Amino acid sequence: MKSFFYKSIVIYFLTILILALISHYYIVNFISVNDQLFYSLYIFIFLIICSPIALIIIFKTIDKKNNDSITNLKRINKDLYESNERYDIVAKATSDTIWDWDIKTGGFIWNKGIQGVFGYKKEDVGDNLQWWFEKIHPEDSLKMSVKLYSFIEQKTEKWQDYYRFMCADGTYKYVFDRGFLVMDDDRNVIRMIGAIQDITKQKEEEQRLKLLETVITQTKDTVIITETSNTEKEQPKIVFVNPAFSKMTGYKSKEVIGKNATILMNKFSVRNDIKKLAEVIKKKEEFTFEALNKRKNGEQYWVNLTMIPITNKDNQHSHWISIQRDISVEKEREKEREHLISELTQNNKDLKQFSYITSHNLRAPLSNLTGLLNLVEDIPIENQELKEIISGFSKSTHQLNETINDLVNVIIIKDSPSIQKEGIVIKDVFENVFNQLSFLIGVKKPIIKMDLNKDQIVYLNKSYIESILLNLMSNSLRYCDPVRQLKISIASKKVGNETIITFKDNGIGIDLERNKDKVFGLYQRFHDYPDSKGLGLYLVKSQVESMGGTISIDSTVGVGTTFTIIFKNNKDV
Amino acid sequence: MYNKILCVDDDPITLMLCKKVIEKSDFSKQIDTAHNGEDALKYFDNLKNSLEEDNNIILPQLMFLDLNMPVMGGWEFLDIFSENKYHDFFPELKVIVLSSTIDPRDIEKSKSYSMVIDFLSKPITKEMLYSFSNNTQ
Repeated sequence: MKSFFYKSIVIYFLTILILALISHYYIVNFISVNDQLFYSLYIFIFLIICSPIALIIIFKTIDKKNNDSITNLKRINKDLYESNERYDIVAKATSDTIWDWDIKTGGFIWNKGIQGVFGYKKEDVGDNLQWWFEKIHPEDSLKMSVKLYSFIEQKTEKWQDYYRFMCADGTYKYVFDRGFLVMDDDRNVIRMIGAIQDITKQKEEEQRLKLLETVITQTKDTVIITETSNTEKEQPKIVFVNPAFSKMTGYKSKEVIGKNATILMNKFSVRNDIKKLAEVIKKKEEFTFEALNKRKNGEQYWVNLTMIPITNKDNQHSHWISIQRDISVEKEREKEREHLISELTQNNKDLKQFSYITSHNLRAPLSNLTGLLNLVEDIPIENQELKEIISGFSKSTHQLNETINDLVNVIIIKDSPSIQKEGIVIKDVFENVFNQLSFLIGVKKPIIKMDLNKDQIVYLNKSYIESILLNLMSNSLRYCDPVRQLKISIASKKVGNETIITFKDNGIGIDLERNKDKVFGLYQRFHDYPDSKGLGLYLVKSQVESMGGTISIDSTVGVGTTFTIIFKNNKDV
Repeated sequence: MYNKILCVDDDPITLMLCKKVIEKSDFSKQIDTAHNGEDALKYFDNLKNSLEEDNNIILPQLMFLDLNMPVMGGWEFLDIFSENKYHDFFPELKVIVLSSTIDPRDIEKSKSYSMVIDFLSKPITKEMLYSFSNNTQ
């Protein structure tokens, strides 16, 4: 425009100059003007007339030129606008972030993608190269910049790279960046324009798939994928086997891929299940079975095999996945365990038999002794010494007899896991117990506090619960404090589906710290009392447990003892 | 009071005890003994022969039988006795098992023989015999 303006001035000046010269020539030659003044006047008048005409002509030309250039500009503007719009839409559609790098000045321009994709505010986006580099993950930036600069130097036109780019919130996105060089006529690089694509999702999916793949490749279970046959006659073809497969079966993947899946099936000895297997395969249902399989070298091994039908997007059955686990070791263990159990059962049976025989053999002569002593009782003995001897003999025999009988009871309790149970009212049982202990109760005169529900029925074996309560009661009566008055409190309550019976006394107690493990043991005596055999609590525990209950003790020496018995209110257990 | 009873036991002391207790409690007039099942079978064989000669011979009415005996035990004796129709000759004979066993299965098993009327635990006592007589008479 400026040049056009100067050009117009020059044209105007020259036109005026030429007009001046023409008028001078004309006046000198055609009009004889002697007077200097008139001469000047002519020139002036001529110039004044000509000058506007020249100006009008010049302005007209300028105006026309201007009009042309404005239309031109408008058109260019419109084109530019449309092109810009296109570029924006394309950038939006590809969700690419476009950058423009002026290599000479280091200026950097980003499109809106930097805001939309990476979350930066407009004012936060830097306008230089450094800003870009700062946002690249430190682990990627060196490798990336080396690649970038070598590319610019070599002036190959296309460049692309993967790296991580930081978002506004500090997290990184995986990006794929592609750039082009812009060169001037002398092949000097002046600009570079690039498009950044966010591939985080693809990358994450890729990593997830890789991870999932490692499950298949690293697992010790074999994984076989077969393609479903399209027709009835066609057999399913193997499309994939994992490394564990080769390890387990001895077949390399090359040997089986593309082959008929039945070649593996034939190795199974699943005589019983083969019909069901065929049926399930036909129905396309999930199926698990155990089978004895053969390796390539003929070695046998047990597998647990699961077949899972896989459907495609259209819900059509497309593949089978079969997972096999080598369970030879477990099978072996199972066998051993079964063997052990049968051995133990036999041993137990033998021992039981042994205990019956032993007790019989002990009881036979003992019953003779008792019988003979009964006879002696009726015979008057004159000799005092003999009388004493016979009396001692009789006492020992009866003691031995009692011990044997107790042991026999223990054997019977331990031997009958399913004892007869009936509905029992605990209160009634206590009445029976008190009757049996009336002599001891009369002597000790205890204060007995009972908190028993009259209507509550517990399902127990009557003779066992009687024996349990009798033992606990007689223990309380026997081992009472010599000074303090004996107090016994008995309570039974129902909590949920359990009956809790507590039996508390203020007797001499048991030192639990010393005897914790022995309280319910066989032949454990905690007090030096002549008539204690150390069998009562053992019997009590055996009887409680044989009825599915538990018993626990809490005791303090010199304070008293509390027993807590818990039974399940279940008829069947 | 029984006229004749038979005690079968391998233990001589038990037999002696049985004899003494039965005598003392006037339970039976005559007490015969056998040492095991086979011995007892022989005893009944002899009786059978005698029966053919003399119909008025006194037969045992009750028998105390031990279970664990050498040569032939109580169970085997009971089996053979019932299988070989001994019972036709001795229809009156009842058996009381007198044993020191504690195996509950034995008590159950004894109930399967119709001629066994009781299962008693050793030792035999006078009180036992009294209550038995009271129950049967």
